[in-house]
Amino acid sequence: MHTIKMMTILFVFVWVSAGQVSGVEAGVLLEDLENQLMCKCDDKCGKVLINCTCSTSDKTRAKFSKMLESGITVEQIVKMQVDKYGETVLSAPTKFGFNLTAWMTPFVALVAGGFGVRKVLLAWVCKKVKLILSMRLLLSQKFQKNIPNV
Amino acid sequence: MNDIGEFTLLLALATALYGCIAYVMSARGNRIDLYLSADKTPFIVWVCVTISSICLWKAFLTDDFSLQYVWAYSNRELDTFYKVSSFWGGQKGSLLFWTLLLSTYMLVVYFQNRNKNLRVVPYAMAVMLVIVVFFLFLINFSTNPFERIPLPPEDGRGLNPLLQNYWMVIHPPTLYLGYVGFTVPFAFAVAALISKDLDDGWIRMTRKWTLISWFFLCMGNLFGASWAYVELGWGGYWAWDPVENAAFMPLLIATAFLHSVMIQEKKDMMKVWNMSLILLTFAMTIFGTFITRSGLIQSVHTFDEATLGYYFLAFLFVIITACATLIIARLPLLKSTNELDSFFSRESSFLFNNLLLLGIAFATFWGTIFPIISEAVRDVKITVGPPFYNQVNVPIGLALLALIGIGPVIAWRRATLSNLKKNFLKPVLASLIAAIVLFPFIPLGNRAEIYTYVTFVLCAFVVTSIFTEFYKGTVSRMGLHEESVAGALTAMTWRNKRRYGGYIVHIGVVLIFAGIAGSQAYGTHTEKHLQLGESFEIRGYTIKYEKLVAIEATSIKTRIIAQLAVERDGNRYWTGHPEKEFYKGQNQPVSEVDVLSTWKEDLYMILADFREDESATIKVYVNPMVSWMWTGGWIIAFGTMISMWPDRLEQRRRLDRIRKQEQLFPSPAQE
Repeated sequence: MHTIKMMTILFVFVWVSAGQVSGVEAGVLLEDLENQLMCKCDDKCGKVLINCTCSTSDKTRAKFSKMLESGITVEQIVKMQVDKYGETVLSAPTKFGFNLTAWMTPFVALVAGGFGVRKVLLAWVCKKVKLILSMRLLLSQKFQKNIPNV
Repeated sequence: MNDIGEFTLLLALATALYGCIAYVMSARGNRIDLYLSADKTPFIVWVCVTISSICLWKAFLTDDFSLQYVWAYSNRELDTFYKVSSFWGGQKGSLLFWTLLLSTYMLVVYFQNRNKNLRVVPYAMAVMLVIVVFFLFLINFSTNPFERIPLPPEDGRGLNPLLQNYWMVIHPPTLYLGYVGFTVPFAFAVAALISKDLDDGWIRMTRKWTLISWFFLCMGNLFGASWAYVELGWGGYWAWDPVENAAFMPLLIATAFLHSVMIQEKKDMMKVWNMSLILLTFAMTIFGTFITRSGLIQSVHTFDEATLGYYFLAFLFVIITACATLIIARLPLLKSTNELDSFFSRESSFLFNNLLLLGIAFATFWGTIFPIISEAVRDVKITVGPPFYNQVNVPIGLALLALIGIGPVIAWRRATLSNLKKNFLKPVLASLIAAIVLFPFIPLGNRAEIYTYVTFVLCAFVVTSIFTEFYKGTVSRMGLHEESVAGALTAMTWRNKRRYGGYIVHIGVVLIFAGIAGSQAYGTHTEKHLQLGESFEIRGYTIKYEKLVAIEATSIKTRIIAQLAVERDGNRYWTGHPEKEFYKGQNQPVSEVDVLSTWKEDLYMILADFREDESATIKVYVNPMVSWMWTGGWIIAFGTMISMWPDRLEQRRRLDRIRKQEQLFPSPAQE
């Protein structure tokens, strides 16, 4: 039962967090592309293209804009960039293979932690209940001893 | 003067080394003579490090380019203001600055705790001295700021233009004050473990230090965001860069500690947990330093000569191993009663709050180190950037926001159903009203917009729950003491500074959440190439390009300034002056943005490019609610100040507690 619960929560989390944004309007295609790729300037600035202000990033933006206008899709441009520079050009890990662990691990840890906290809390509550019950038992025994037999 | 600086650094190292050995020996062997001798070392170390720092500052201010460090980070044309801040502009100076702050903190701790708790304090001082020794060792033998150039050049290379901004003068010291500050609670925690004095004494002794460090770290992060916003010229303030993450993680763990420590103080529970949290916070501050100085993880903030990574990694390993061993060895003594009346209680909500804060910290840590893991496992370099952090951390952050609202209205020990109904009614109603009112006005076209909508609804829930607490307290006080609203509110807050100060901090956090959500989802931007006199529109603003001016600001700096008239409803509303600055010897020009900031939105202008015919490319962002974040920061500062303000009642309670203890365990003299 716990495993099913855990899997359900995990699925919901991953679905909420890792799902693809749909319905992207044509006007924001370039922005979407800029978000997916890193700037590859000589200074190795380490910035996502959309955040970069260097001259290389301006040229790259202009190039991508023309490519999009010519009918090449965002996915195709991303693939071309990956072929040229490797996976390091992507601003986030892909969602398959080993890279999936990047996405899954935080949620697995969080859900496992959640169950751990729940277990600990229930144990602490049980401890208190047991203590109260044993106190009551002690008191009632003492009370009975003091009552004279009729 | 440079010789004096170098010599005092060596003297400081020798004294600190002697100090930590003498403190430990005095505590272990009950040697008062050694203790008295060791007790002089914090002051001597501070004097030596201060003299050394003054020598380096003097070298900067007098353009002494015989020092390699001064040559690398300054030049004759540099403004005096930035000559002072060049001190921490590079690796060598930043380590000396760290040591200066640490020795200053150590001196304050020494004066605060002189002749107090002689079981714990000597060990705490020894731990701090060990950390000072580590830094002084690096400064003396690996990265000496007083390294000479045999033939001093005429002028220096100059400070990175991006660092020539007033936020960069404030941001690093603030962040360092936070980073270094956590050494104090860490040292006392380790000292408590060593001395087996494991009641909540170390927590009470360091509570204010933890708060102060948390405050500086929080403000340091916000100042850094402000710097990125006005200086980097990309319209944003947070890029999830590894070094930003490194400053963010200890803040999250320290926040978890600040909450869970309340349970230990109230119910003597979670001793192991609290001990682990403060040790982890300190370890994370060292991890941050490791990232900046290793060059192992690609970051915008990495120092030019990032060569010290392995020293910090080794230090981190030693700290974690030693602390884990100590905690395991003391587990029987750290056992607490750990009982709860009910699953539905404020204690439980604090535990879940800890889980979520650590969840975000772990996700951030995981994202930061995943490139290394990927390279080790697959031999493939990858990047983990903002899309990862936004997708993973935002849902957890929203759950955390909800808990900020649940915390104040759920009772300590046990929350009954009627009590829950009564306390949650108003916040839930407020959030429902917010959801209905906002629904027609807020677009819900993509996930970012949906998250933002949920954030606003949750903000309404949290703010109502906090204001309900203030309202209830004020009304009950007005009834009891016949006071005015303002009088009752002030007196109530003043008598419960910690509680209500904390609530004020939460309001600040809510504003930051709202600001982030609004600016991320509803911002817009456009880029236009304009001839003089041309204009364009963006979200109701008409931007007209009026002129382009070139100014030779100094012999090494040229400013190209564009003048942009901003019109609204046909009237001139504001004039913006974004500019580009060109520094001699620098490849890239620096953008100086101009921002019109209002409560509703920021109009953010960048001069992206210009040509000889005076045409220019202008980029304009409209970023809603950014000022909410900065306001949130100031509210956090105000709330923290209230929480930290000395409390006479608390002092009286502490004295009563000591008296009671003395009655229970009378001293031999009394017997």
